[in-house]
Amino acid sequence: MDEFDEIKICFLDEAEQNLSDTEQCFLALERSPGPEILEKIFRLAHNLKGSSKAVGFDGLGAFTHDLETFLLKIKTGNVQLQPEIVDLLLRCNDHLKYFVAELRANFNAQVNSEGLLKEIHQYMEGRPAPKPVEAPVKEAAPSALDESLAAAMAALENADPETSSPSVPEPGPEFAPEEIVLAQPAVSTPVVAPAADESIRVSLTRLERLLNHVGEMVILHSVLKEQSSVNTSAFLKKTIHQLGKVTREVQDISMGLRMLPLKPTFLKLQRIVRDTSRALGKEIELEMIGDDTELDKTVIEKLSDPLVHIVRNAVDHGVEGPEERRAAGKVARGTIKLKAYHHVGQVIIEIMDDGRGLDARALVASAVKKGLIRPEAKLSDDEAYNLIFAPGFSTKEAVTDVSGRGVGMDVVRTNIDQLRGQTQIETKLGQGTCFRITLPLTLAIIDAMIVRLGKERFVIPLHHIYESVQASEMKLQSISGSGEVLLLRGDNIPFHRLSTLLGRTMSATSESGMALVIRASHGSAMAIFVDEVVGQTQAVIKPLGQEVKKIKGFSGSAILGDGLPAVIIDIPELVKRLYPNLSAASSGARAGRSIGA
Amino acid sequence: MTTTIDQRYLTFSLGAENYAIPLLSVREVIAVPEITPMPFTPHHFLGLMNLRGQVISVIDLRGKLGIKPTTSSENAVIICELQSGHLGILVDSVNAVLTPAADQISSPPEVKGSLNRECVSGVFRHEQILILLIDLEKTLSGEDRKAVSSAAAGQASSPHKVA
Repeated sequence: MDEFDEIKICFLDEAEQNLSDTEQCFLALERSPGPEILEKIFRLAHNLKGSSKAVGFDGLGAFTHDLETFLLKIKTGNVQLQPEIVDLLLRCNDHLKYFVAELRANFNAQVNSEGLLKEIHQYMEGRPAPKPVEAPVKEAAPSALDESLAAAMAALENADPETSSPSVPEPGPEFAPEEIVLAQPAVSTPVVAPAADESIRVSLTRLERLLNHVGEMVILHSVLKEQSSVNTSAFLKKTIHQLGKVTREVQDISMGLRMLPLKPTFLKLQRIVRDTSRALGKEIELEMIGDDTELDKTVIEKLSDPLVHIVRNAVDHGVEGPEERRAAGKVARGTIKLKAYHHVGQVIIEIMDDGRGLDARALVASAVKKGLIRPEAKLSDDEAYNLIFAPGFSTKEAVTDVSGRGVGMDVVRTNIDQLRGQTQIETKLGQGTCFRITLPLTLAIIDAMIVRLGKERFVIPLHHIYESVQASEMKLQSISGSGEVLLLRGDNIPFHRLSTLLGRTMSATSESGMALVIRASHGSAMAIFVDEVVGQTQAVIKPLGQEVKKIKGFSGSAILGDGLPAVIIDIPELVKRLYPNLSAASSGARAGRSIGA
Repeated sequence: MTTTIDQRYLTFSLGAENYAIPLLSVREVIAVPEITPMPFTPHHFLGLMNLRGQVISVIDLRGKLGIKPTTSSENAVIICELQSGHLGILVDSVNAVLTPAADQISSPPEVKGSLNRECVSGVFRHEQILILLIDLEKTLSGEDRKAVSSAAAGQASSPHKVA
């Protein structure tokens, strides 16, 4: 890569950050317009224009130039600020984001900006008779709504061929580390100040290398400590003790480097709530609590889609229109509350709306109509609520542009499952719905059980294991043709030996052996017999090499206390690979359980 | 940037034969560590090792190339940087770093043997010894993965009766 290309990439990185800054500014502008916000936007646009021309992105520079002129007119009061203009500015922002993404893929990319430019010039010349609107967010008159939708469609056709839905912008791949506080309701003045913390961007690969070395340091320290027990030098012991303290500190800090606050994700949701509610003619206030809660970067990335789906769903299906709300004796303006907090080593995220709530009977009726469940199925209320996560389920009659294509909510379940998290729904008819997502702090570390089979050790994630039964207390019964079952408090649990699952010769049922009862998410239970449970550990998950990554049944590896690696077993997958029929049967049972067929 | 530099190679022996890989693809050479075997892998896949906190797969290049193992105890593991990541290869001994001139390297001879010709990208002589340049990417990547997955499939499809 030549040096100039590096400068270009640097510029694009910076531009992305700037654009997510400006987006927040535009939103702030709508809530409480003020000269200092305009000043900041103007400055950001000016920077973008200057540097894009400097690195040779003339197309981008030209568009920003016109945008800057437009902003100048707004700043000087020549053009009056109104929701349509904020809309236009936001669309310009999306357009710029798209432009930057295109340039990243190809430095010579050209993007057609004519549609937006035409609109900008129309406003600058004051042609589309501006209707003055006092408060930033008023009930959108149908005509204004149509107009903005039509404009959005026009912009979509002309400028933004990639983005499929105008109301839901593609998020920028990067978020600025410093963001503007917008969390509180509209009354509070947005704080537009440079963040106090300075920050640098570090690639994840480098971070992972650091974590590897820190992990090794911890192991070396424990070896040293063990050796020092035979050495009598008090000074040596003291030094090793101090080293231990420092090592732990370094480990904590470096683990924390992967953690990011939820704020950027929440801010993105704010934009979605704004755009979707406007498109639907609803008034919705978004409250954010605990947006400084931190989660592992990988968790945050995978969490983004589910949250978008839930929030969009809440806006579209949950919160009623103003008329309906008034008729029900509620305030016309709906509220969606996003709340994140820590709870016993886990992070909980709640998405609450004060809308119409879920109607269990309507959900069941709809599911029957769609052929998802049989008419005679008896579902508890909780099971009925969970129907909304079933693939192909959508409660609204008309398919809207916002949500309701019947995809989406099943993505929520799938993604949260992948994150080893859980989803819960609480709802009261007429009062609202609360989605509660419980997540582990990080995906990089799991609580795990170390088990022994012969001379080999394996790691089994603790969240798979529900209980363990000692060999002496096991009651086994063999069923000819279908193996053994473990009798446990009246349940018959399929019994597998780890040795068989791993294709080894059968080891005798030793006295120190242990049956682990495994219950995969939504799956049926099974028992796995191992020679010994060696202990529990917090294992740092290390990826397996390309050569062995594809082998089913292993989800990674971990380095044990003595420095040797061990394979992490994904028991449900392992059983599935050995008994494909069984897995089909159990997934059938699973479908039966979760949908109630 | 386009000046041609004669490439340097790390030579090592496997059984009675001599091989070489580009030095640039070598990260380091270490003594044979303790290796954790892994189920469902082919015979030449020795298992996993811990290289300062990184878990790396180790393969036996002799087994891979079908070379009879000698009882030499002078084993070493070469940690290679491949496109797919790091990989350890077990060899009998690591010999020297050589810099053959580009015109000294000839195309591999047409010989029948167990060795897949694709794996050898060229040969050169050094002090009357024939050294084979081995293309690790070709040797290990596609074909090896196939071997791993077919071994895995074989395991899965073989009838296991539960007693």
